[in-house]
Amino acid sequence: MTSGRDVRDILGLPVGGDPQKTSTQRKPKPAATVRRIQGVAREVAALYGERPPPVAVYEEKKTYRAKRQSTGPAKKWIQQPFMNQARTDGLVLKHWRRKRTNAPPAQDGEDTAMEDGENTEPYIESCGDFAKYNITADLPTFTDEEYDTHLRSDDWSREETDYLFELVQAYSYRWAVIWDRYDYQPSTKSHLAQETTNGDTSQALAALPFALPRQRSVEDLKARFYDISAKLMKLRIPEMQMDADQYSTYETLTKFDPVLERNRKTLAAALMNRNMDEVKEEEFLLAELQRINMAANRLDAEREELRARLDAPVPNPQLSAGLASFTSSQALQALFSQLFQQDRSKKRASGAGPGPGRLSISASDLIATPSSAQAQISANRRQSMAQPPIQTPVKQLSPPQEYRFNVSTHERLTSGVTFGSDKLLKMRQAKSNVQTQKIAAALAELGISEVISIPTSKVGEVFEQLVTKVGKLLDVRKVREKEEGECRVLQAMKERRASEVQQDGTNADDAAHSNTTLTPGAKQVIPDSQESPDRDEDGEDEDAEGDADADADADGEVDVDAEGEEDDEDAEGEEESTRQVSEAMSTRGQSASAGHKRSASVLSQASNKSSKRARK
Amino acid sequence: MNIPNSSTAPAPGEYAGDEVSAIVLDPGYSTTRAGFAGEDVPKSVCPSFYGQIDADSSSQYLFGENAIHTPRANLQIKNPWGADGIVEDWETATKIWEYAITSRLTGTKPSDPTKNGLNDGTNANGDAMDVDMDAVENQEKPLEDSPLLVTEPGWNSAKAREKYIEIAMEEWGTPAFYLQKTGVLAAFASGKASGIIIDVGASHTSVTPVLDGMVLRKGVQKSPLAGNFVSNQIRLIFKQSQPEVPLTPHYMVKSKTQVDAGAPAQAIYRNFDVPPTDSFRRYEEERVLTEFKESVVEIWPGPGRLSNTGNEDIAKSMPGRPFEMPDGWNQVFGAERFRPAESLFDANAAIQDSENPRPKDEQTIPRLVQAAVQHVDADQRPLLLQNIVVTGGSTLLYKFNDRLNYEINSIYPSTRNKLIAPGQVVERKYAAWIGGSILASLGSFHQLWISRKEYEEHGANIVEKRCR
Ligand SMILES: Nc1ncnc2c1ncn2[C@@H]1O[C@H](COP(=O)(O)OP(=O)(O)OP(=O)(O)O)[C@@H](O)[C@H]1O
Ligand SMILES: [Mg+2]
Repeated sequence: MTSGRDVRDILGLPVGGDPQKTSTQRKPKPAATVRRIQGVAREVAALYGERPPPVAVYEEKKTYRAKRQSTGPAKKWIQQPFMNQARTDGLVLKHWRRKRTNAPPAQDGEDTAMEDGENTEPYIESCGDFAKYNITADLPTFTDEEYDTHLRSDDWSREETDYLFELVQAYSYRWAVIWDRYDYQPSTKSHLAQETTNGDTSQALAALPFALPRQRSVEDLKARFYDISAKLMKLRIPEMQMDADQYSTYETLTKFDPVLERNRKTLAAALMNRNMDEVKEEEFLLAELQRINMAANRLDAEREELRARLDAPVPNPQLSAGLASFTSSQALQALFSQLFQQDRSKKRASGAGPGPGRLSISASDLIATPSSAQAQISANRRQSMAQPPIQTPVKQLSPPQEYRFNVSTHERLTSGVTFGSDKLLKMRQAKSNVQTQKIAAALAELGISEVISIPTSKVGEVFEQLVTKVGKLLDVRKVREKEEGECRVLQAMKERRASEVQQDGTNADDAAHSNTTLTPGAKQVIPDSQESPDRDEDGEDEDAEGDADADADADGEVDVDAEGEEDDEDAEGEEESTRQVSEAMSTRGQSASAGHKRSASVLSQASNKSSKRARK
Repeated sequence: MNIPNSSTAPAPGEYAGDEVSAIVLDPGYSTTRAGFAGEDVPKSVCPSFYGQIDADSSSQYLFGENAIHTPRANLQIKNPWGADGIVEDWETATKIWEYAITSRLTGTKPSDPTKNGLNDGTNANGDAMDVDMDAVENQEKPLEDSPLLVTEPGWNSAKAREKYIEIAMEEWGTPAFYLQKTGVLAAFASGKASGIIIDVGASHTSVTPVLDGMVLRKGVQKSPLAGNFVSNQIRLIFKQSQPEVPLTPHYMVKSKTQVDAGAPAQAIYRNFDVPPTDSFRRYEEERVLTEFKESVVEIWPGPGRLSNTGNEDIAKSMPGRPFEMPDGWNQVFGAERFRPAESLFDANAAIQDSENPRPKDEQTIPRLVQAAVQHVDADQRPLLLQNIVVTGGSTLLYKFNDRLNYEINSIYPSTRNKLIAPGQVVERKYAAWIGGSILASLGSFHQLWISRKEYEEHGANIVEKRCR
């Protein structure tokens, strides 16, 4: 076995004087363990060793409820008689309460005797804990005079009104319950009436207008009550002096319309009493509506996108070559990526091949944040340091020079040789046959021959721009046709509805005249249907005036506007490109573009005309 | 610090409880439930049937489970309830109720609390031991010390209501009294203040719309298609089946031997010098039928009615349920077990004979619910349909809730309908009592009691004013 000495020897510690040291070390130990943690068994505490436990130890005493201390005899509970403050009749009930210990503890021995003594003269507790639940509803009150001068009604007797108020009070404005319990029996008169009804009904009826208890609906009850409340409120506080709250209450009281309420309820009831098929149908229709809405949203989004595209034409890098255009961060970013692309293509051209030097950069990296782009560039730099590129002296040409010498740099060169005329031909081709034909027709209209005699790269560029614009033009045309079609359909619908409304109106009026009680449905239809055409017409007027900020509802209008603008823009763009071409090229191109310009404006005029036609 | 346990009182704000040792009495056609408010089950459940033996001049009455099931000569079994679901024979009804209260709760003659044995096991009978010694001397009325809450059916007549308070005040001497409808209380037991309460008991099925703890009287519907009706349907099925199913009550059988399914019973029957009366036999048969209802009868759960095409076949294909009569006769019941209760939902399915005509369509449960909802203000209907409380012993029929749910959803497909049916048998059977127990133990209820003084001042018709 290894002794302590061996260990020391291994560890290279000094050997001498150990025994003393250990003994001195041992001494303080027991002193440390004296500070024992309370509430922990000694054996457990020993397990902690010298250090305190990493987890705080709670002492038993503090965490648990103290054991019940049995001091003295058991506490006494008695059935304490008590009175409820909310009661006026002095009903005494008993509940269990701790016996009150008034007597000093010294008299404990006499306790039993005392108890009997107390019982003979019982203490009655007054219990108000629950009195707060005894609430009654506030009710407007009126005097006889007030009733006579302001509140009289042909339909309601004074007795019945009082009865109504009584019920409202009793059932705290729960109208459903009030109506359920409403059973007004005209008092003394009615007894007479009922007796007489056996003999001569008509006489009794004539003599006593309130002889037969009539069936009143909730709305009747509410109408009467609200009417009285409103009148009383006005009497107490003149309208002018009401504060906002009071006035709004007053307003709701006066605005109560029993007919409307009744109609609402019949509708609600009808809604509830639908059968399974109707519910299913409604569900189906709702789903359909949602689908249509979603489609409409999509359509709107598409239009929006188209508009956005037309509003902001793609910047022409060739035109804005000057440094001045690189002011915005976005432009800088674009420049970065452009440079980077050039760099990369150069490298590829230099024949680095798929070696380790190749950077794997995806397009997404390029459109990431500038910092990342920078990182890429710095990485690139590092790359170039590690692998010194083959320096080929390149003479930098300024753009005008480049232009003059017809020098062009290519990001990527396709292998092989292609004809410029082939390129142009390819541009004429669209995805679909129809589109191709349309493009051809448009180009023919502009007077551009099918074969362009000298298809230089610049001519190709210009031609490309022209074709993209033609494409846009065609898009716009298509949209316009669609809108016009929609306008036509809506117009037809509107007309049809207008004629229907007229018929309905007359019918409903007839019904209203013939039957006053059964008009709810018709009446509700009338205002609605009258309202909506009005609104439509308003919108139309605005459109006709040519307000630019027409409602979003007037789809056609907005779109047509946008179209017109776009056409103008097209013309502008065309002008610019025309200038270019004219500088470089023959007069032929000039005439062609001029023709284009003219026709574009003609087109836009035509579209404006047509849109105006559509509006009318 | 204060860990709540069964012996610590809940905090005062926790529930508005303040018990005054009130007694809650829930009399029904088949059983009468009584117990102290604040407890969760009625301590005393007695049959509402009573035995009567007519001697020469006077007649002897027998109350309680133990007394009325023993066959005795000339023992007649009667029930104080009338056919309309309102008590008819007030005199004996009072005695039965008094028996229900005194036999288990207050004790007939309070003796010294240390000696009367009430304190041996339980301490819930506490109030009996705390009767003042002074009061004992002049107390001959059973309820001198306890306020009383009684339940009543939703269609109780004004006269019957007055009778209740008269009995409680005059005969039982209660210091305070209150009358509440079973529907409201059943809703309370489920923690609802508003809802539609469907109570399928023994003699009546009732549908009660309740709004904010108040019965909407116009909407209360009742019909006799309930437990007794189902029992009757079973009798008819037994009678009409080939061969007839013998219905022998327990008391007639001395010993039985096992026989094959469908084979005639081989049992030794008892001989009586004076055979017990028909009413006794019928009552004992009823017990067998209740057993049959509990263990065999099933309700077609939907979709559709049992009579719909295809459903009978499905019912036939389901495994049957065996049942053995007290005399050993036994049989596996297949599709027949769906028939007795089907007419609760479909009047056409009722088994008829000359004495038992076809029930009316309006008496079926779905139609009752519809009628009840129809009589409620349109605005409240959806709210009520969200709280459909199901209670009463006969709703324990197997698959009752499935069917009810199906039926209600097919009447009102566009609203959110929710059935609230306590899963516990006790809560379902005694919902009205439990609701009463909750209500009468509330501190805020102290203000509602009709006190003796008020009764003496205003007379019996104070119930009309106070117990709305
Ligand atoms: N598990 C069960 N299955 C089927 N029916 C049952 C079951 N338990 C009890 N019943 C039936 O329920 C009925 C008793 O129900 P309940 O106690 O609710 O009636 P009640 O309140 O006394 O009568 P009522 O409400 O008509 O006055 C009896 O007809 C009994 O046969
Ligand atoms: Mg019942």
